[in-house]
Amino acid sequence: MILGLVTVLVLLGLFAALAQRRPGRPHRTALRTGWRQLRPLLLRLPLALLAAAFLITLLPQEAVVAYLGESSGWQGVLLASLFGGLLPGGPAVSFPLVLVLIDEGAGTAQLIALLTAWSVLAFHRVAAHELPTLGARYTLARLLASAPLPIVAGALAGALVRFTAAGI
Amino acid sequence: MPKPPRPDGMTLFFLALASAAGGAVYALQGPEAVAAAAGRAGGLLLRVAPIVVAAVLISGYAQALMPRETVQRWLGTGSGLRGLSLATAAGALTPGGPFAAFPLVVALLGAGAAFEVCVAFITAWSVLGLNRVIVYEIPFLGVHFVALRLLASLPLPFIAALLARPVGRWLRLGP
Repeated sequence: MILGLVTVLVLLGLFAALAQRRPGRPHRTALRTGWRQLRPLLLRLPLALLAAAFLITLLPQEAVVAYLGESSGWQGVLLASLFGGLLPGGPAVSFPLVLVLIDEGAGTAQLIALLTAWSVLAFHRVAAHELPTLGARYTLARLLASAPLPIVAGALAGALVRFTAAGI
Repeated sequence: MPKPPRPDGMTLFFLALASAAGGAVYALQGPEAVAAAAGRAGGLLLRVAPIVVAAVLISGYAQALMPRETVQRWLGTGSGLRGLSLATAAGALTPGGPFAAFPLVVALLGAGAAFEVCVAFITAWSVLGLNRVIVYEIPFLGVHFVALRLLASLPLPFIAALLARPVGRWLRLGP
């Protein structure tokens, strides 16, 4: 986590330096865009983390391992895909939730299916952004074309995990 | 005049979820369990908050430095393997959240880009988006996990585009 913080701070410095060299010096625009993204998170992030902590307390660790663990197989991938598609919130909310699931013993392939479903199907994003901008027919067509992707990613990830576990 | 932040639907959803789950923890396991879970959430919040603040600032800079006209010029109307590869690369490099990406797709469709190219673009943006990978995913989940996920996700924009062609025809979307 410390390494992660160092990475983002270095990157932030790099971007700020790049912006400094641009003719317009768009620091102000960047800050405004950033703030617009941060503001809804001020309340949402603490609440989401609190909800996750409570839910995990209710859910016994054995259940996470049984349903989403390494050995849950394709059923686990399917369940994780469903869960990921329903998971609301942007990356600031979702990645901490995934972190909690890793701690509780969820499998890599299952988590990759979950993250893929969250990224391509995310029903909240479809409702909030895609439907209003693209319209119902294009949205439906994209969703249909993307529906199998979480399972494909989960299966590929599972194969890769087995491949690397085999010592190659 | 600065408006006070109004809780949106998603925030209210998490508020309801936290209250219901917190109530259930209290009823089933007592106040100590509630305090322990809240402490765990607080600890995680302290760890992720600095990353999140830096992340939104990076996202702001990325959008300011790479305006959507640049991406649009990149894509044009090319289809086929080359067009799909370009769309995938552009999607992975496009910074910003859905409020930036979807209007871009509308502009692309308007400029005559093929539907499957747009699907490849939006899929790449959502599963390969480098901005999110560097800013959120690596710090939270580590390089090994992220590398595995990216490797497993690399074919997805192409698969989605392949599926988009018959689906688009079936729904009679444009030419």
